[in-house]
Amino acid sequence: MSTHRYSSEKATIELRDVRKSFGSVDVIHGLNLKVEGGEFVVFVGPSGCGKSTLLRMIAGLEDVTAGDIIIAGRDVTDLDPAKRGIAMVFQSYALYPHMSVRENLAFGLEIAKVARDEIDRQVDAAAEILKIGPLLDRRPGQLSGGQRQRVAIGRAIVRKPLAFLFDEPLSNLDAELRVSMRIEIARLHRELGNTMIFVTHDQTEAMTLADRIVVLRDGRIEQVGTPGEIYEDPDNLFVAGFIGSPRMNIVDAVYLPGQKVGVGGFVIQLDAPVASATENAPVKLGIRPEHLVLTGGENGLLSARIDFSENLGSMRYLHCMLDSGERITVELRGSADLVSEGTIRLTCDPQHLRFFSESGERLR
Amino acid sequence: MSRTARSARRRWLGETRYHLVGLTASLLFLAPLAWSVLVSFKPSLEARQPPLPPWPVEGFSFQNYENLAKFGAGIWTYSGNSLTVSAMTVLGTVIISLLAGYGFSRFQFPLKNVLFVLIISTVMIPFQSILTPLFLILTKLGLQNTLAGIVCVYVTLQMPFSIFMMRNAFDSVPKDIEDAARADGASVFVMLRRIMLPLVLPGVATVAIFAFLASWNEFLAALILLTDQKKYTLPVLMAAIRSGQFGTIDWGAVQSGVTMMMAPCLALFLLLQRYYIRGLTAGAVK
Repeated sequence: MSTHRYSSEKATIELRDVRKSFGSVDVIHGLNLKVEGGEFVVFVGPSGCGKSTLLRMIAGLEDVTAGDIIIAGRDVTDLDPAKRGIAMVFQSYALYPHMSVRENLAFGLEIAKVARDEIDRQVDAAAEILKIGPLLDRRPGQLSGGQRQRVAIGRAIVRKPLAFLFDEPLSNLDAELRVSMRIEIARLHRELGNTMIFVTHDQTEAMTLADRIVVLRDGRIEQVGTPGEIYEDPDNLFVAGFIGSPRMNIVDAVYLPGQKVGVGGFVIQLDAPVASATENAPVKLGIRPEHLVLTGGENGLLSARIDFSENLGSMRYLHCMLDSGERITVELRGSADLVSEGTIRLTCDPQHLRFFSESGERLR
Repeated sequence: MSRTARSARRRWLGETRYHLVGLTASLLFLAPLAWSVLVSFKPSLEARQPPLPPWPVEGFSFQNYENLAKFGAGIWTYSGNSLTVSAMTVLGTVIISLLAGYGFSRFQFPLKNVLFVLIISTVMIPFQSILTPLFLILTKLGLQNTLAGIVCVYVTLQMPFSIFMMRNAFDSVPKDIEDAARADGASVFVMLRRIMLPLVLPGVATVAIFAFLASWNEFLAALILLTDQKKYTLPVLMAAIRSGQFGTIDWGAVQSGVTMMMAPCLALFLLLQRYYIRGLTAGAVK
């Protein structure tokens, strides 16, 4: 089978009730997901959430216990990795150490019995895109981390796959390189337009790269949405806490009759009712650090004692302790607010408040 | 005396001591080899005299080699036997341990560890103690007194070490590389041959050297399992020469035989030693 027919096609990837068990341990619990053609989807979640396993199942490197995987309308559940029309980039680069960069890039095409001159053309084209032309005759051992990752991506490109799968490709790079490679991958997606699935535990990568983010926990999808939706409108406490740095502040509160909420002695009037909340019932109140503002007046939302403050230059993080013992973080921008100790009073625009039930479900 | 002069003197003393010890040790190791080689070039009669001095006094001579060549069915027959047996043993050992090592390293199957320990534990059985059953089994299989039979025995004896070696070699290759090859479309055998084999080559070299040395030098099994004089391997031939006619020993022929047997071992080791060291230390340090 030739790899050519995949070129520039935009494939959908569909998971239908996909399950995975290792012995008696279930790691993926019946996932359903549809990735649109040309979409950049990021799987994000804490380590052990099953995101890499899920990616390897899509790639065909891991057997599926139950359910179907459909790529470009074709059921590939039982197909070999090479016949699925996907290409994968590994965290460890996984280059063939005994082959030159050129041989590394050409290997997949040689296996597919592509003609020699066609292989050369494809390899040169990929090297052009990734600017690794001068490295073609070197061995992987002679390359830096960033160069190796480029070669690994190049090896994926030459196969002209329907979809690219990235398994934490930037985790082994240093911070600076990670940012530049991130931009490069975004550029690559724009240029090639293929469907891409990217696994990471780094929420910055998730937020910056994704068309849609899939937040996973313990083998289940917690939420699927655009970075904006995930950040602004989290479905539950886990998503709220996982996305955003510093984390969203979670404070115990009580939902009061008349669209009011009571927090540690203060009562604040809401613009709109929280329909699914029970009156006089305890709720969890979520507030992003950047939404808290200092106020001088009596009518604040929270009163907090500053524990310590971190100055990041363009902004300042105040780590505070509430009277109730809960810890919160406040993000202050600009140099005007030069508080660094004592007790402060904070308020927040009611539209930025997010409510969660005691069990962690979002209340809207 | 100035401090620099004193420290230079101390360094000189240290280095001299270091080299002296090294020189003595290498002399101890090399002397018997040199002795053998030198005696083999003495004329036949001189070689039977008391051995001092060890070098030929009455001029170099190839007489011993000529005597060796004429012995029994001729030296080429025996060398051929030995080479065949060694080459087949190396080939068999490498192929089987390569596949078994890959299996033990990569696949999960019931009783995997038990099986592995069982294979390794066979090194604890002194093989002399199973010679009789081996003899009987080979006779039943019709392999007694054949080179193929003795190759089977040698390959079996090499298995514990070789499988252990190859499993470690495969363990040190990251799983991702294999996955990448699979994603690139390589079948299991293409992947083994083009990706894995070059990466475990140091392990293969080590296994090959061990298999070669063991089968090339093995005496007891060859003596017992090969009864036809035409099928003797070199070590058996050496014993036959030593216990020559009427209890006399042709020392010259013995030493020339020793020299001849030593040569391929040295050549092979020098050729592969680079891989050999790497193979033995594979996985020791990341």
